[in-house]
Amino acid sequence: MNALKEDDIRKIAEEALRQLGQAASPETVEKVVKSTIAKMDGSNKDVVQEWKEVQAAQKPRKGERIIITAFGENQPGILAGLTTVLAENKCDILDLTQKLMQEFFTVMLLVDISDSSKDFETLKNALIKKGEELNLKVIIQHEDIFNAMHRI
Amino acid sequence: MPLSIEEILETIRMTEVEHFDIRTVTLGIDLRDCSSDNLERLKKNIYDKIMRVASEHVKAARKVEMEYGISIANKRISITPLAIVADGYHPEDFVEIAQTLDRAAEELGVDYLAGYSALVQKGFSKGDLALIKSIPNALSLTKHVCSSVNVATTKAGINMDAARLMGEIVKATAEKTADRDAIGCAKLVVFANAPEDNPFIAGAFHGVSEPEVVVNVGISGPGVILRAVREAPEQLDMASLSDRIRRMAFKITRAGEFIGKKVAEFQNVQFGIVDISLAPTPMPGDSVADILKAMGLEDVGAAGTTAALALLTDSVKKGGMMATSHVGGMSGAFIPVSEDAGMIEAAEKGHISIEKLEAMTSVCSVGLDMIAIPGDTPASVISGIILDECAIGIMNNKTTAARIIPVPGKKAGEFVDYGGLLGKAPIMKVSQLNNQIFVNRGGQYPAPSRGQRN
Repeated sequence: MNALKEDDIRKIAEEALRQLGQAASPETVEKVVKSTIAKMDGSNKDVVQEWKEVQAAQKPRKGERIIITAFGENQPGILAGLTTVLAENKCDILDLTQKLMQEFFTVMLLVDISDSSKDFETLKNALIKKGEELNLKVIIQHEDIFNAMHRI
Repeated sequence: MPLSIEEILETIRMTEVEHFDIRTVTLGIDLRDCSSDNLERLKKNIYDKIMRVASEHVKAARKVEMEYGISIANKRISITPLAIVADGYHPEDFVEIAQTLDRAAEELGVDYLAGYSALVQKGFSKGDLALIKSIPNALSLTKHVCSSVNVATTKAGINMDAARLMGEIVKATAEKTADRDAIGCAKLVVFANAPEDNPFIAGAFHGVSEPEVVVNVGISGPGVILRAVREAPEQLDMASLSDRIRRMAFKITRAGEFIGKKVAEFQNVQFGIVDISLAPTPMPGDSVADILKAMGLEDVGAAGTTAALALLTDSVKKGGMMATSHVGGMSGAFIPVSEDAGMIEAAEKGHISIEKLEAMTSVCSVGLDMIAIPGDTPASVISGIILDECAIGIMNNKTTAARIIPVPGKKAGEFVDYGGLLGKAPIMKVSQLNNQIFVNRGGQYPAPSRGQRN
């Protein structure tokens, strides 16, 4: 295929936005971009199949972002402890905020668990257990509940 | 816009510190297709249907609790008013059906099953009368079954015979469960304008215009509203105070709707409504009374209490209505005495009387709720209390109710303690003046002119 023109890039972006809307993420965008390029390229990919792939790319992500909040007394290794559990289970950290107020440590992690090797409950229990070892209170919730409460 | 750490911490503070939870997810089940002229068949039909339809309810609720970190205090079931399903049977048959319902509730692991009910605002069918007569026995022999009787509507007026009869039934229920401090009466409510989609007990039932199966949700968040009011400076004007309450009510209603939809989705059932009532619990800080105090009253019962409660009820409604298109049930503020630590304290100190509570019921969501009175109170006085509540309900076009507990052997000033969500009730003084001639007049109390709205 020839190099993309500016016009093509715009079309691809528009298509990706149309298909994904709020659900846009690097992976889903990549899927849509690839399928759109394929379509522009003239390759005869089945439209239904393509739609299915986009859906499939979206589906595991739907509701599969979790927020981990941990509180406790500051000490070395808190973040390492928690993130090790995530890394072992193929969870992807998307965002991280931490605050230290005097000796009190608060950390919030936004994590994509779509590719997690364990289901939500097992992962949750593993994190809580790790938290107990580090003397932390760990709370794990799906991101959706926060969006429902704090976004109109 | 990504979520900020402040927003996340606010949610966590609500659930961890301020006792915000979902009071109940109630699965409404239509039982009309269970009718049969054979009692054994009828019982089997009812049992089988409830076990089949509700099999995933508790599991779905637990899954939602686990994934979203918001606890669901009660999992409940409501059914078609049983007087309709089992019309034609005798009171002793109804008791057997109540036991069947109780067994289903026990096996499913739900906290309550409500809908042992009759709607008699304009008169009794045979089944209605049989069900009502069976209530004392049914409630004394079951643990999870809850009963309600609607005796008045704005459109129909008040069925005076039913109001009189219910005074006697409340008394009889208290006596049948005297060994457990009349706990039967905590599961029996007499209504005016009962809503058909109410998820709260004891008054829940699955109305005849409801779908086959539906999930309704009730939220509980006085602690959250309390913080919003407490943080308000003393000079803050009323409209701004209302605004603070509305904002909080919006958030908790959104959470309620979200949780309800998820519980419905996980068991593949239609979602119904969110009841945006503030339901208190006996936990300290989870109290409607404390909110009224935080508004600037020395205690509940002070002059201005009714005005404060009206502002609270209305603000919660406005915030909730913005948050969900599916508002239903009672939707206001509950003021059950025994279930609210602040109310218990005010009653103990003698700051609130049953008369002040009655005034408050004209602006709250239900009525005289979980009020223990001396056991020697005559049935006619209880009927009179029911009539007063009905009058407030039909004249103001609102739901009102009476859940009165005449505790045998107890006098004003003593206590009964039921534990759990039902809490602890001080026995309140009630007027013992004779009202028998009025109560016994019977017939139909005419519908008010505001019932004619066509």
